[in-house]
Amino acid sequence: MKALFAEGLERPQVKLKQKLLALNWPFLLLITAITLVGVAALYSVAGGSLEPWASRHVVRYCIGLALLFIVALSDIRWWLRAAYPLYLVALLMLACVLLFGVESGGATRWLGWGEFSFQPSEIMKIALVLAIARYYQWLPPSQVSWPYAVLPPLAMIAVPVLLALDQPDLGTAALFGIVGCGLLFLAGVSWLYFIAAFVGIIVVLPHVWASLHDYQQERILTFIDPERDPSGSGYHILQSKIAIGSGGYTGKGFMQGTQAHLNFLPEKHTDFIFTMFSEEMGFIGAAVLLVLYLLALLFIAYMALRCRSTFARLVASGMGLCLFAYVFINVAMVTGLVPVVGLPLPLVSYGGTSMLTMMVGLGFVLNAHVNREVRIRREEFGPLW
Amino acid sequence: MKPRDYALRLRNRFSRRAVLIGAAQTGLFGLLLWRLHRLQILESSEYQLLSDDNRMTRHLVAPARGTIYDRFGRTVAVDRENFRIVVIPAFCDDLAATLDAISEIVPVSASEKDRVMRAARRQSGYFPVLVTEGLTWRQFALLSVLAPQLKGVRTDRATYRRYARSRSMAHVVGYVGLAAKEEVDEHPLMRVPGFRTGKAGIEKGLDPELRGQPGTISYEVDAHGRVVRELGATASVRGKDFALTIDQELQEIAHKRLQDLRVASVVVLDVVTGGILVMASFPSFDPNEVSFKIDAERWTELARNVDHPLENRALRGVYPPGSTFKVVTALAGLEAGVITPRETMHCPGGYPFGRHFFRCWKRHGSVYLHEAIKQSCDVYFYETVKRVGVDRLAVMSRKLGLGQIHDIGLAGQKQAIIPDTKWKKKVLGQPWYPGETISCGIGQGYVSSTPLQLAVATARIATGRMVRPRLIAPSEAEPEFPVLDIDPTHLELVRAGMVGVVNEKGGTAVRSVLTIPNVQMAGKTGTSQVISAKNRGFLKGWEGETHALFIAYAPVGAPRYAAACVVEHGGGGSRAAAPVVRDVMTEVLLRDPAIKMALIASNQEAPKAAKAKGRTR
Repeated sequence: MKALFAEGLERPQVKLKQKLLALNWPFLLLITAITLVGVAALYSVAGGSLEPWASRHVVRYCIGLALLFIVALSDIRWWLRAAYPLYLVALLMLACVLLFGVESGGATRWLGWGEFSFQPSEIMKIALVLAIARYYQWLPPSQVSWPYAVLPPLAMIAVPVLLALDQPDLGTAALFGIVGCGLLFLAGVSWLYFIAAFVGIIVVLPHVWASLHDYQQERILTFIDPERDPSGSGYHILQSKIAIGSGGYTGKGFMQGTQAHLNFLPEKHTDFIFTMFSEEMGFIGAAVLLVLYLLALLFIAYMALRCRSTFARLVASGMGLCLFAYVFINVAMVTGLVPVVGLPLPLVSYGGTSMLTMMVGLGFVLNAHVNREVRIRREEFGPLW
Repeated sequence: MKPRDYALRLRNRFSRRAVLIGAAQTGLFGLLLWRLHRLQILESSEYQLLSDDNRMTRHLVAPARGTIYDRFGRTVAVDRENFRIVVIPAFCDDLAATLDAISEIVPVSASEKDRVMRAARRQSGYFPVLVTEGLTWRQFALLSVLAPQLKGVRTDRATYRRYARSRSMAHVVGYVGLAAKEEVDEHPLMRVPGFRTGKAGIEKGLDPELRGQPGTISYEVDAHGRVVRELGATASVRGKDFALTIDQELQEIAHKRLQDLRVASVVVLDVVTGGILVMASFPSFDPNEVSFKIDAERWTELARNVDHPLENRALRGVYPPGSTFKVVTALAGLEAGVITPRETMHCPGGYPFGRHFFRCWKRHGSVYLHEAIKQSCDVYFYETVKRVGVDRLAVMSRKLGLGQIHDIGLAGQKQAIIPDTKWKKKVLGQPWYPGETISCGIGQGYVSSTPLQLAVATARIATGRMVRPRLIAPSEAEPEFPVLDIDPTHLELVRAGMVGVVNEKGGTAVRSVLTIPNVQMAGKTGTSQVISAKNRGFLKGWEGETHALFIAYAPVGAPRYAAACVVEHGGGGSRAAAPVVRDVMTEVLLRDPAIKMALIASNQEAPKAAKAKGRTR
């Protein structure tokens, strides 16, 4: 370790074997455990069958793991250079969705070429973190709270948020917002900005509300509280609450969830997989899963704290924020705390793009961890390249 | 300050804020846990109910209806197995083809096919539709074997109601029918396809007890309403069985006896227990036909028939009692002290009152009470009722059970009318005119009664006790009826008159004397007019004929049975009604154990003579 530290000062390159040793293996074990929960849940959803979801989930996890290793073991400086271009590409693709996106289920989120299709917003989640981290790596520490210096990252956040809202994809927009603002906060931007923003929203919101038409207000109210319309949009959330609530303390037993297996639950292999899991495993199972996620988050925070470079710190904690936002919004959604916005539960929900994105994101966390002792001088990189 | 310090300060700030965010995240996860705790632990039972509500549907299973027996335990009405075919349209590849396949084994009419197709379109495809019912065992067995090949076809067993001696028992037992629209909301059981409730007679009167408690089958269903599996069942509770006081055999005999007449009814009571042995009404109908698979045409024919075969005349036929009412007038006079048994009155063939001349059917000359009853002299009772007054007559009538509904478990009884001044004021809003009292004395005018009421009055006169009729055999011995508040000597005088009617020379019903040795019947004839001043000229032919009535009890020494018979438009009571009562009463008496013993004893003394006499009608 000592040698690594000394060498890192002079030469940023670290040997592969040392990198592998420096990986946070317990963390990998933790996310594997979370994924296995997902495999079990998908096995149950399919009525006790590996097909069609559980086996593919495993395959995707393995592909994701490969990507994770590639990202984790790659050169951190390379990513510093790639951050802005990647952000620009992601932004362009998000814009493309606006123009040639494939519509599915009332929202346009996908870009497709023939069989293959993916969501640019997933790339943006990573690109946004990298870009903001890259920005603060370059920004002189003394200028962090300067008004002019706050504007560029705000723009970096605002543009994808607006594009996501346009799709419309409220969940992703919220996620961009949470991750972006969290990063600004961690980067050291003065409290004053956050307080001002908070006060501003409090002041403006009633005026916006008053200017809305009755039907718009009604739509928003129904969105916030779906139980106002129990046969329509409230049906899914009501069924989800019934499923979770009826699970009780110990649950109905593996593969015994009546709400899920009798099809009262919608999308139980994707967005509502937590519901099915807690119906079958009860409060204990749900709490264990949440604790696993919390452990992963604390691991990430710990790893971020140990990083020497601003970039690594912010990348790691940004990915952590992203994971947190996913888990929190999804669980809060299925338990009826927040409106249904359609975000999957990372590593557990079935879905290729979200799995790969999450694994790549975690790859960046590990990359930061591997390069924790690397110091990157501010002068090494220009404002853009 | 050096920039280096800024970097350090920023790193420290990052550490502080990272801890802050970590704490916030932990806090928000705590919020999620709190939420889960609330849903899964605090409110769990509530959600478990909702979840069960979601996944379970309960189907009601119709209970078997209680069996009805006669007094000797012979079956009157019983639930029989009904083999049915139902289809579940969702499981049929081609419903029309399936129905064609069924009709090769069981005839299914085109209209039935049409009904099935329409029902299948209207409701969920998983809801069974009845194709046809009442299959024979052969058809049922054949279809049950073939059912696995015919997709979506199920055979099932329900019940239908079977009535024994159905035509004679029809009015007493009533019939069942599909629940009416108003009933459907009353109990979910009514929605069970093919469920039938009591519509008339005992079936209706005791419907709540006969019906029983429905059982349930719980199914697990998915979000689309498809049945996934059966979860469990609770058995239905059979309805209560009842034993009637009716003797089915006697009822059948009485019914046969009435068949020669157009419209008639007869009631026979056991005066000791109050049990109704016979309650026959003619014309009748077949409850088997009415309860099961009756078509609309046949039903209208029954309901609109001029002779109203659906009506139970023993309870719902309201007739002026005519001369049979004279026994009541006599008792009222004696009790009021306005006449004495030895007082004679002169009958010149009519009775002048005001400007009106009330006719008697014969010039009786000088009559006293016994003769007046025996020969049914109108003038004697015109005078008696004038002295008694209508109010005291009404009191006596009610004491004898006239003009009131006797609760025997049958709905739709008529109360009939026993008039008094108060009644007229209330109902017609007019004062009572003295002239109206006169015709009341001979059971005409406003006075009316039903055959059951007449039988009860006869039983009360015969026993001097407050006999209450019943149709349901009591489960335990009931106390004797209380003694009536009437002087026994007065009752004895009236009874003697009634004995005279049948058994003494000059009595109006001497032709109907019993032929059983040592057993006598007492009675009173009645011939009531249907033509009044108002409808004179409108009623012609049969409809203009007088009603024939006869009330009787036997044996004379120790009354056991009381009877009343009304033959609508049958002419004279002695000619039309008394023979019916004689014949029915003979059959009743021959079945009485005490009289049987006496008969056997006398047969042993004079076998040949008794045989010749005892079997004659």
